[in-house]
Amino acid sequence: MDVTRIVFLALAAVAVVSAYRVVTAPKIMHAALWLGFTFFLVAGVFLTLGAEFLAAAQVLVYVGAVTTIILFGIMLSQAAEVRSRDPLPSELLEGMAFWRRGVLPVVATVAFVAIMVMVYLRASWPAPTGGVADTVRLIGSALFTTYVIPFELAAVLLLIALVGAIVLAIRDDDKEEQGS
Amino acid sequence: MTTIPVTYPLVLGAALFGLGLYGALTQRNAIRILMCVELMLNAVNINLVAFAATLRDAAAAGQIFALFIMTVAAAEVALALAIILILARREKHIDIERVHLLRW
Repeated sequence: MDVTRIVFLALAAVAVVSAYRVVTAPKIMHAALWLGFTFFLVAGVFLTLGAEFLAAAQVLVYVGAVTTIILFGIMLSQAAEVRSRDPLPSELLEGMAFWRRGVLPVVATVAFVAIMVMVYLRASWPAPTGGVADTVRLIGSALFTTYVIPFELAAVLLLIALVGAIVLAIRDDDKEEQGS
Repeated sequence: MTTIPVTYPLVLGAALFGLGLYGALTQRNAIRILMCVELMLNAVNINLVAFAATLRDAAAAGQIFALFIMTVAAAEVALALAIILILARREKHIDIERVHLLRW
């Protein structure tokens, strides 16, 4: 039991708990904060796996951008609209919803996780080799040589998403002003 | 350098993916479903990084795939939140059980 393994196990345990809170926290705001915490812990997991660049990107993109966007989205909208009540257990398990929202998700999730874990435990994996020494340099050179076209496409994708988000927001404002 | 057996991060990825899947299937709040989808994408990234670390990936393919998944996830969350906020303004709720705009 070396230090890396202990750190990994601690991070993993806390990550699973906080991911559980993302699903179960009563207030959507708390769920968003738990989500940011989970992302932060996953960045730590990346560090223990020797992926320094991805850990930094995880903190920048997920903790810095995605969580902030979700928090802003919750806070900038009218509270009553977004913080719509999550179903209570009794109304969750009512009529048809009993199968669709009560039984089926549990069966699907448990079956999926059980199958995946069984495959993981039964497969014969190669012994841990300890990765490559300088992953940052490796990623940098691979990204601009082998993967340069996907890299540029990702840039175009981000631009399209940016323009699309702005267009969606602007058009809605116009229509709302005309309507009122 | 890592000495973690590959099954540890794989099981962690399966657990996080399962939690995200369960949330996406049971929740009715659109923002919370979005958060669960992000959780699932992150679980997949853990798997990719674990394989990259274990298989001594000289081409860094696993980490670069994870990087592209991050890019797509960032674009996805921006667009999804824009759509959800428009929905909140028009319908005054974001309960996906009561949204029929795209159904017919």
